[in-house]
Amino acid sequence: MNRSMIRYILGWVLKIEAVLMLLPCATAVIYQEKEITTFLIVTALCAACGFLLTLKKPDNTVFYLKEGCMATALSWIVMSLFGCLPFIISGAIPSFTDALFETISGFTTTGATILADVEILPHSILLWRSFTHWIGGMGVLVFLLAVVPMSGGSNMNLMKAESPGPSVGKLVPRVRITARILYYIYIGMTITQIVLMVLGGAPLFDAVTISFGTAGTGGFGIRNDSIAGYSPYIQWLVAVFMALFGVNFNAYYFMLYRKWKKAFSMEEVRYYLLIMFGVTGIITIDVLRASLGTGHTVRDVFFQVSSLMTSTGFSTLDYDIWPVTSKTLLVMTMFVGACAGSTGGGIKVSRFVILLKTMKKEMSSYMYPKSIRKIRMEGKPVEHEVVRAVNVFFITFMMLFALSILIVSFDGKDMTSNFTGVLACLNNIGPGMEMTGPTENFASFSVLSKYVLMFDMLAGRLELFPLLLLFHPSAWKQLACRKKG
Amino acid sequence: MFERWKKTAKQTPKGLNIIIVGCGKVGATLTEQLCREGHDIAVVDKSASRVQALTDMYDVMGVVGNGASYSVQMEAGIEKADLIISVTDSDELNLLTCTVAKRVGHCEAIARVRNPDYSDEINYLQERLELAMIINPELEAANEIARVLYLPAALSVNTFARGLAEMVRIKIPEGNVLDGHSLAALGKSITKDILVCAVERGNEVQIPGGNFILRSGDVVSFIASARDSAEFLEKIGIQTHRVKDALLIGGGKSSYYLAKQLLEVGIGVKIIESRQERCEELSVLLPRAIIINGDGTREELLKEEGLEHVEAFVPLTGIDEENILLTLHAKEVSRAKVITKINRITFHDVLARLDLGSVVYPKYITAEAIIAYVRALTASRDSNVETLYHMFDHRVEAIEFRVRKESELTGRPLKEVMLKDNLLIACIHRSGQIIIPGGDDCIMPGDTVIIVTTHTGFYDIQDIIG
Repeated sequence: MNRSMIRYILGWVLKIEAVLMLLPCATAVIYQEKEITTFLIVTALCAACGFLLTLKKPDNTVFYLKEGCMATALSWIVMSLFGCLPFIISGAIPSFTDALFETISGFTTTGATILADVEILPHSILLWRSFTHWIGGMGVLVFLLAVVPMSGGSNMNLMKAESPGPSVGKLVPRVRITARILYYIYIGMTITQIVLMVLGGAPLFDAVTISFGTAGTGGFGIRNDSIAGYSPYIQWLVAVFMALFGVNFNAYYFMLYRKWKKAFSMEEVRYYLLIMFGVTGIITIDVLRASLGTGHTVRDVFFQVSSLMTSTGFSTLDYDIWPVTSKTLLVMTMFVGACAGSTGGGIKVSRFVILLKTMKKEMSSYMYPKSIRKIRMEGKPVEHEVVRAVNVFFITFMMLFALSILIVSFDGKDMTSNFTGVLACLNNIGPGMEMTGPTENFASFSVLSKYVLMFDMLAGRLELFPLLLLFHPSAWKQLACRKKG
Repeated sequence: MFERWKKTAKQTPKGLNIIIVGCGKVGATLTEQLCREGHDIAVVDKSASRVQALTDMYDVMGVVGNGASYSVQMEAGIEKADLIISVTDSDELNLLTCTVAKRVGHCEAIARVRNPDYSDEINYLQERLELAMIINPELEAANEIARVLYLPAALSVNTFARGLAEMVRIKIPEGNVLDGHSLAALGKSITKDILVCAVERGNEVQIPGGNFILRSGDVVSFIASARDSAEFLEKIGIQTHRVKDALLIGGGKSSYYLAKQLLEVGIGVKIIESRQERCEELSVLLPRAIIINGDGTREELLKEEGLEHVEAFVPLTGIDEENILLTLHAKEVSRAKVITKINRITFHDVLARLDLGSVVYPKYITAEAIIAYVRALTASRDSNVETLYHMFDHRVEAIEFRVRKESELTGRPLKEVMLKDNLLIACIHRSGQIIIPGGDDCIMPGDTVIIVTTHTGFYDIQDIIG
């Protein structure tokens, strides 16, 4: 295992984190808050550790998928450990466990919070909280690839480990340029949203933090009632942008190069929109039928569906009061998640499409036992390896899900809270239902449960295997053994 | 943050967009080397696993599909491509790929065509299909082997300036006059008309200065005109007459190309081939050669066919391991000049220790020719890369530039020009004359200049200025 390369990557991740932390620093200066010292200390600490780790360039820059996964998993852990320091030092969240929970929830774009009252927090802390969503949304290693010149084709292994989706491809021959294009699109869309929100009358600070939360499909609000208190225009805007950030970014790339046909014929995006509008329609009818509806039902339903399906987790009302059918549908969309190659979480639409097609193929193989049929996706045959990986992913996901629910159940909460709470963390959504619902928070869980949920959040964001690899015995052996390095 | 962005953006060299169709040996070598030169590459192959293997290793984009099809080419980005290189197994597919690409995009095209049926009309094909280049690794390998057989004392012979100048690599034998000679003294005592460009000692390669003292066992590369190099070798007591006969094992394409060349200059050729059918084909194609039908890896047969007495032995089977074993065997039992062709395997350090003598790598020969062309495409119009050789495991490059225009480099005595370290102007070719330059010589527009250097990636003659 190429340990020096992993060390070098970790160092760079810390350096980048130090640079990124200048944004909350600036916020603290603008609002003249005393947290400026906190952020300066943490920035200095990150930078110092980063420089120490990158002092010596590794001789051997080749690394394989296993190193890519290890580096990614460790980066996210280290990043979260440093990222939680501002909360602790400033005293906003004094407990280490809670601060770490909040930070991991931020970076993994979950948006599950342990805070009951966020309105008392200083601006700089709120900004950092939302900014972690933005950083985690596209991924810090993708950012690393975009800005740090690293030679060799092995970089693709980093991108593979961090980017969501069953098969990660490139837009252009170079990883570096691919990563840059992704970030340009990401930054461009974020700025568009900020501008549109400001034009709609939102204060700049609210516009920036909410846009960060939307772009990363995170869901940390800066008000206790999330988005409910904003004007209908802002609510529509956020709902639409959440849906947009859940679309595979390849579609935007094709649009940038005016390949409209290619962009609009993306199978995954079509299914994604189909599910989103279908579910919105059914829930609207269901809510109206139960005569809970008001004048703005469609807006509320679309907002909730868009928010939960893309794994953002903003809310404009407490959907716990909705009828059972609606809530069940919401939970189902939570499982599905957004598109691969977007900033959203979840199992991903493309995986479900592949699973459904596998099912169909299996059925037809009962009817025509000798028939040979390849699954097709986006007009191309799907390699057997990909199908296998999707199946294994689904099974692993379910097992991890079940095991987490079991551990969390020791806290004695009801089944729905545990089920949806774990689902909300594993799929990086944020709020679940009942006691983990949009009006509640995760503070009441025990320390053990919180660590389990943190693990789930990281596992969900990194798509399980990079993180699980850390628990493979030979991974540790190779990491510890100098000779193989 | 943005500062850094700007900086890195500037550092990125202006690479060409290149599509490589076919991910076999040559395709993989090309991908590796062109990637190192900083180009944006898309690789295309029918086999997903081959594409995967390359995209895992290098920073390239992979497309699975038939490279000759329009939609696959579109996906690989033919619209923006500057160059397409087709090196699949099939000559016909390569030509079709290039033909389609020329119609779809605005790119140059290079095809690999190696079937002897086409080799005579290659220039016609190239012209009519408007291809930038047609490469034939088997033919190139045969040429390189033939050059060594004409000068068997050399480990390898590379030519520059359309064959007027050659770079000869020899190993200094025990007790040779060169042992203990400094390079400065060499010019006075033996000859002025050659220039030692690189010396390999153990694992080190250096571009030597005047004070460098040669030792026996050194592998020396020197450059000279074809006549002078023979003269020099005579003077230091090394035989220079060419071989009289050659025994080739295996009757593949390279065997055919080599035999054809050798027979033309009157060298006797005996080919051992195991397939009856192919033997009959060869006997028609090469009426003057002796074709033996048998297993060339059998010791008794080799003995029967006179391996002990033959002057040159070239194993050209399709299997590298067999070739290496045959070489080692021949070195044991005979004094013949042996040349090993290695297609696939890459264990350079093991091969180096085996002391095989002359080794020919067809895939590198092809790659060098293409890289020379690509560098010429990239460079400004002032100068062009004409030929390029990688030596000593890519640590040294020998490049031939054509100087087109006047610049601060031209018309000035070389002693006044500040050159980079580890760089040598080995030779200047001016209207048919080969000049081994001293401090008073100058480079003129219209010359071709041969540079030997441990720096890599020169595109332009101006790059040599320190």
